Amino acid sequence: MKKPIPLAVLIFLALWIHGCDRKPVIEPSGKTIKIGLIAPLSGPDELKGQEGLRGMQFGMQMQPYLQNGDRIELVTADDRNDPALAVHVLQELAAKENVAAIITFSSSDPVLAMAKVADENKTPILAAIATHPDITRNNAFISQLCFDDRFQGTTAALFVRDELLVDKAAVFVNSNSVYSRDLASQFEKKFESIGGEITDRIVLAEGDAELHPRIKMVQDHSPELLYLPIKAADVLRVIREAQELQWKPQMMGSDGLLSAIIKQHKKELHLFEGMLAIDFFSHRAGLTPFGKKARDAYKHTPKGKEGAASTTYSTLGVEGYVLLLGALNRCSDPADRECINAKIRSTINFQGIMGNITIRPDGKAERPLYINTIEDGRAEFIVKVY
Amino acid sequence: MTGFVSSALFVYTDDTKSLIEPVQNNSLGTRITPVAFEALTQTPQKHLEEVGHVVVAGPLDVIKEIMRLAMEHHFSIGIIPTERQKHLIRLYDLPRNTSAAIELALRQDGPRIDLILCNGQIMLFKAAIGRIPFLDATITTSWFRLVTIALKKFIGFRLYAFKFLTAGQQQINTATSGCLILNHSRASFASRLISNGHSFTDGMVSLVISAPTSIVEYAKLLIQALRSAERYKHLPSSIGYIKSSRIEIGSETPLDVIIDDKHTTHTPVHCETAAGAVRVNVGESLQADNRREKAAKEEIEVSNLPGGKELLRIIKQKRIPFFSYASEERFNDLFPALREDARLNSIYLVLMVLSTMLATVGLYLDSASVIIGAMLLAPLMNPIVSLSMGILRGNIGIFKNSIVKIVLGILIALFSSALISFLFPHSSITEEMLARMNPTLLDLGVAIISGIAAAYSKSFREVIQSLAGVAIAVALVPPLAVAGIGIGRWDFQWFYQAFLLFSTNLVGIIISATFTFRVLGYSAAVRSKRSLVVVFVFLVLISIPLYLSYNRIVTDRIFEQKVQQERFLVNEKYLIIRTASIFRRRDKRIILMDVLAREPLNRADLNTFKKKIQANFDQKLVILINTHYIP
Repeated sequence: MKKPIPLAVLIFLALWIHGCDRKPVIEPSGKTIKIGLIAPLSGPDELKGQEGLRGMQFGMQMQPYLQNGDRIELVTADDRNDPALAVHVLQELAAKENVAAIITFSSSDPVLAMAKVADENKTPILAAIATHPDITRNNAFISQLCFDDRFQGTTAALFVRDELLVDKAAVFVNSNSVYSRDLASQFEKKFESIGGEITDRIVLAEGDAELHPRIKMVQDHSPELLYLPIKAADVLRVIREAQELQWKPQMMGSDGLLSAIIKQHKKELHLFEGMLAIDFFSHRAGLTPFGKKARDAYKHTPKGKEGAASTTYSTLGVEGYVLLLGALNRCSDPADRECINAKIRSTINFQGIMGNITIRPDGKAERPLYINTIEDGRAEFIVKVY
Repeated sequence: MTGFVSSALFVYTDDTKSLIEPVQNNSLGTRITPVAFEALTQTPQKHLEEVGHVVVAGPLDVIKEIMRLAMEHHFSIGIIPTERQKHLIRLYDLPRNTSAAIELALRQDGPRIDLILCNGQIMLFKAAIGRIPFLDATITTSWFRLVTIALKKFIGFRLYAFKFLTAGQQQINTATSGCLILNHSRASFASRLISNGHSFTDGMVSLVISAPTSIVEYAKLLIQALRSAERYKHLPSSIGYIKSSRIEIGSETPLDVIIDDKHTTHTPVHCETAAGAVRVNVGESLQADNRREKAAKEEIEVSNLPGGKELLRIIKQKRIPFFSYASEERFNDLFPALREDARLNSIYLVLMVLSTMLATVGLYLDSASVIIGAMLLAPLMNPIVSLSMGILRGNIGIFKNSIVKIVLGILIALFSSALISFLFPHSSITEEMLARMNPTLLDLGVAIISGIAAAYSKSFREVIQSLAGVAIAVALVPPLAVAGIGIGRWDFQWFYQAFLLFSTNLVGIIISATFTFRVLGYSAAVRSKRSLVVVFVFLVLISIPLYLSYNRIVTDRIFEQKVQQERFLVNEKYLIIRTASIFRRRDKRIILMDVLAREPLNRADLNTFKKKIQANFDQKLVILINTHYIP
């Protein structure tokens, strides 16, 4: 009867190790905490909203409860990326739905509009993709999950100047986008300050038909790079015009461009070959332990089983939800908006999908930026900038 | 000029009745009297009276009976083979074509050839006793078939006690799985083993004895059989050979004797040659061969066969072991040298001090050539190899002496290098030192391979000069010197890392040298299992920190590669990481980076840079930066 003793020890050790590894089970409290989502769920920019929503829903699948057992309920509002509508739905969510916090996948223009009334509503807002630097200015309730355009524009200028050794660049701007205008300015300012020359600044207006002569003019000035902080459809127009001129310049786009290209212009993907773009993520870069866990969980979802790839927006959706949940968990009353806002703005080294995120007290996010390129129809990682 | 007999008796059976007509109608002028074999055996005197030549066509038994009658009645024999009698055709080099075979059979003056009789029965091809591993297979057998035969015969394979007595009264007691008596044959694997050849006219019986004492030996024999297209220059290590005019074979238990593939008798068996017993018309090539043959001498090559104390052990085993055990005779060559290597002497101590001092100075000078010199001078490998043998043989004397010698050597080395380090405390840390402070599983791999090489070199005098190369590869003294420097610096982490590398080498060499000696057959009859277990436990224990260290290094290397794709924006200054290397000093993880920047970095920039690295990688990382500026 010697064997049962070591066997019992082994069983005990196995149970003990298993017990150590297992997370404590959350007992539902029966209460519900509402979180709002303001995003363009319809209209031309619905990709951003729908993908962001998909990411948040996946985050909710992973963590449906707060640590105190309160269940999270998601209340969505479609702003169609319209500033006026965004302000309206913000007020509705804050007053009528009484949401504890809001995540928004709207662009910089609607979020800048929301910024004006953010302090009145006293509802913490986490802007997932609005990168304009002024979003966090003059208000205490909007924080950015994304890096801002100053970081992006400066990095883009330094990358092309110091790594690609580009001396001359031309810049394209969407006239009706404050995001595009500001990012282009940030790039130009930095590029010129370090000895680069901006050969042209091409402003694209909606319904602009006369692009060909302007591209010809840009070509004549021989820029080594076209900086394109513009919509994917406009980038495609520029590429086609350049193609007609038998011209294949080096090009660089801004955040979200690759997702839009892959989702909306899959058939024309070959035209974007060799294009550089800044992004929040890279499919080829390493994942954090949380990122690996999320990836494994995603594989078991219906979309994951279908092989549907995640996008920048859906990944930001997961990150935003989990970060917000962390802030709620750190408040003794998870419905206390002031507390939530304070906790969001004191997030230090939150483990995101691919790197750490810190949100400063001024609402600015410090997170790594990725520069990718399209190679053989796939987004390939070049560098990561902290 | 070829002549033909004027008359001959043609002996046929039912199967060969059709040959009567072509034999009778021969164009050689020979008068043929046909007689059925049954009729002949009923009244042999009547049919064989005044017969000078008999032509026979029939099965092997019939031919053997005719040969027996030829010995009595002194007639010569011509054989007409059937198409299926391929072995017979090969044995006597007979023509396959019937008319050519009739022509050869009717020739006169065929050579006198020997007949081998085993317990009075004629053996034409071979007689097998016991279990012969594939040696009786023909050389045309495919490798797949040969392997299949070898595997099939391996089931239940064991060695039995055998006794052989030759005509010259040489008695050989050995253990063998079986033996094979061969007639003149070039077609089997066994016949290729006999370098001296054998013929119909040498008056000798050739006996091949197989004794693979282990599975490894059995496999080796099979590989040799598969590889060798020509005759062997030397007998394989598990084969013995006896050539004598008479051999008596006895086994501990009666074993069947299969003569020409028919079970006819059992041991003890008495085989002898009836020299020139019959005249047989054989083919041209054999006639030429046998003309060359002179009177043969008795040959006995049994040095490869088990004998002495080893014999008693082998015959007790129900199956052969995986590895062979060395006989005391085989061991006698190596053992005295290893015993001497295990003994402590003043030369060893002096060389140990000198080699450590040289290594320590070489380490401080960062000079690889001086360190290599120290490796060559170091005498530590010899007692380690002796220790391996001591463990394997369970020889307490060698074991104790080696341990004392190694431990003393280690202490002297640590003391010598610590003293130098203590005397020169301000000397800088060199790359050569750092290189010996991150042992991994790969180092254990080097040690294991070196241990194999060391034991192998030691076992064969012709490659003993390779030990110098082994000493360089495994480098025992430099890590010991680095560990001593750690003691001199009062740095335990330093000592631990370097001593771990030394221990890795030590255990790796011991375990692999022990294993190699085992494979080479130097293990004792009684295995020292306990000491082997102790060494394995050490191996497992040392593998744990090495595995952790290996993992840590892999993580560091991955990080070093990854970091080359990382950039930092520090106060609007863009920093490009060109290279990064991580090393550890005491308990600190240090990263040394080559950074490219456009603008000069001030203290605030460096602080921000440091904070970014610590926030994103490791809080405890110590950062060293070499900055290069982009023009």
